[in-house]
Amino acid sequence: MIFEDVVFFIAAIGALAGAAGVVILRNPFYSVLSLVGHLFFLAVLFLLLRAQFLAAAQLIVYAGAVMVLYVFVVAYIGGAEEPIGQNVPGIRPLGVLFAACLLAELCIAVIGTGLKALDTRGAHVANGFGGPAQIGSLLLKQYLIPFEAASYLLLIAAVGALVLARKRRGFEELTEEGRPA
Amino acid sequence: MTTLLIAAAKAPVIDYKGISPLFAVAGGAVIVLMAALIRGRFAQRVLVPFLTVGALGAAIGLSIWNWHTGDSRPIVEGALAIDPLALGLSLLFYITGLATVAFAWRSRALRESGTGEFFGLMLGSIAGMTILGSAENLITLFVGIELLSIPLYVMCASDVRRETSLESGLKYLVIGSVGSATLLYGLALIYGATGHTGFAEINNAIGNSVNLTDPLLLTGIALAAAGLAFKASVAPFHAWTPDVYEGAPTPVTAFMAVATKTAAFAVILRFFLEALVSAQEQWAPALAALAVITIIVGNVGAIAQNSLKRMLAWSGVAQAGYMLAGVVVGTQLGLQATAFYLAMYLFMNLAAFGVVIARERVSEHGDGLKSLEGLGSASPLLAWPMTIAMLSLAGFPATAGFIGKFYLISAAVDGNWAWLGVMIVVGSMLSLVYYLRVIAVMWMTPLKIELPGRPRRARREVQPVAGWSPEADPRAQPEVLLVTLIMAAATIFFGIVPSPLFHLAHDVGTSISALFS
Repeated sequence: MIFEDVVFFIAAIGALAGAAGVVILRNPFYSVLSLVGHLFFLAVLFLLLRAQFLAAAQLIVYAGAVMVLYVFVVAYIGGAEEPIGQNVPGIRPLGVLFAACLLAELCIAVIGTGLKALDTRGAHVANGFGGPAQIGSLLLKQYLIPFEAASYLLLIAAVGALVLARKRRGFEELTEEGRPA
Repeated sequence: MTTLLIAAAKAPVIDYKGISPLFAVAGGAVIVLMAALIRGRFAQRVLVPFLTVGALGAAIGLSIWNWHTGDSRPIVEGALAIDPLALGLSLLFYITGLATVAFAWRSRALRESGTGEFFGLMLGSIAGMTILGSAENLITLFVGIELLSIPLYVMCASDVRRETSLESGLKYLVIGSVGSATLLYGLALIYGATGHTGFAEINNAIGNSVNLTDPLLLTGIALAAAGLAFKASVAPFHAWTPDVYEGAPTPVTAFMAVATKTAAFAVILRFFLEALVSAQEQWAPALAALAVITIIVGNVGAIAQNSLKRMLAWSGVAQAGYMLAGVVVGTQLGLQATAFYLAMYLFMNLAAFGVVIARERVSEHGDGLKSLEGLGSASPLLAWPMTIAMLSLAGFPATAGFIGKFYLISAAVDGNWAWLGVMIVVGSMLSLVYYLRVIAVMWMTPLKIELPGRPRRARREVQPVAGWSPEADPRAQPEVLLVTLIMAAATIFFGIVPSPLFHLAHDVGTSISALFS
């Protein structure tokens, strides 16, 4: 029990620190690395919940594949020197104010209800909850439509990426029309 | 374990008839993408648009085939509801899609992004709208909204070599993602509070196992409402609307203005009136406040605009406020009135956008208000639809907009929200300022004949504008003119003989039987 508690607090602090690092660090490369750390600790939390499949999927898909992609993109594009957006005077304090309000609201909501179960043993779940068998059956039964729609979404997104990124012939045509290329 | 395996081996029952309209558009997108691989002018200019029209036509036919009144059990393990609300609003998406094919046919955006890709993305987005309109659980809702949005981001940027188009796509992407994230957070909190993802189960849980004043539930509803408000461009989440509408290629703007707004309201109607109707007394005042803010902000914002697309964007914000009033009422009458107004909104907006598209391709002022100067005597075939659309948007009698507003106001008064009805009237009065200005510019400025064929300034000085192409002959855009005239005619027709649509709206109202009639 003690061991679980220790692992939980290490993982929780790690996940929070990682998430904070994503937004606080100025260098996008470190932000991405911090996100990898965050996802790793999230996977540990999933393990504590006995959801081994989710933990493994989290590590392989997010920390493994998606984050590598992010790292490549950041390394390729770089641009840590470029300032993000212009500073409109007056917007910044307003943004902080609204963010603080939202934070207060969310804290009230979470502390108001979510923490009621903190001292209990938690919800009772059947053996095998969150396992691959159950996730598979949920994906192919109850959530069949969203599952298929998500794969269709990937297809459409790939087409969209092609539209934006493919090489175009005839850039010279544009210069003819009066705008410098 | 064995029971689990046996249970897992049973596949869900799929109602292929009910899901067929979705198959038509989603499959149509794939077919269109494949057909676009064929080289040659015929395939690109004729075959691909024809297939797109065919997919949309099939979807319309299949929706009508599925039409029935009353509540029905959701299909595929409770994922999709095939009821008049979903089918009726899907018809609006498909009709908008058909109009967009005509609007986009000669546009620059189409050539820049490729015919197949453009129409494929559009059909994909429409498939997302179809899913969204009939979503019966939180997961389906979220996947639907993403499938709607992601192709739209690309479509906004599809005129890739024009900076404003790229800017519009990027802005929409960033703000749309913020909206999606907010929505997702809200949905997660609602799931956390109720323990269910299905709309019917959530509604059962609220008030029974979950307290009505449960902070987790209330925060979830607030965040989900904010996320959906981004999509429906409800103030104060509307700030992206004018910029994105102005920058996007005009056919895409027309598609966004009508179809996306209808889809957003489809999900707002279903989500609030089906999943959260037990908590109505909690969300209704908040949505009423949003509606009032939206009506005021939209109408005031539109007054100072000189770009027609920006003006229509602000007017779209104001119209979203009127329709939100119909949601707030939370009765069957409110549902009917909102659905009816969405149909009217389609006719009058597509008529207006058709004129904007036809004009900006030939006028040196692009989509500026000045591009309409003297249109009344130069080409009355364009001036009349614009006049009708503007009068209808303002809510003049004998136009569709009047009937729609009347219906909304009567629903508001009937549901004891009379002051919201008053707000709709006040908003309409404000809106006359900018709608009548357009009419005045068309009919009351002296005739200036513009040289047909290309803008008056030399070609080298002309900034490429959305939809403008050197080979587009101004007098030869029959497809745009045709759609515009049909939409204007429908605006007048349903303003005088609204009963066919009343019947359809009444059917839509029966979709959610739990509501007060």
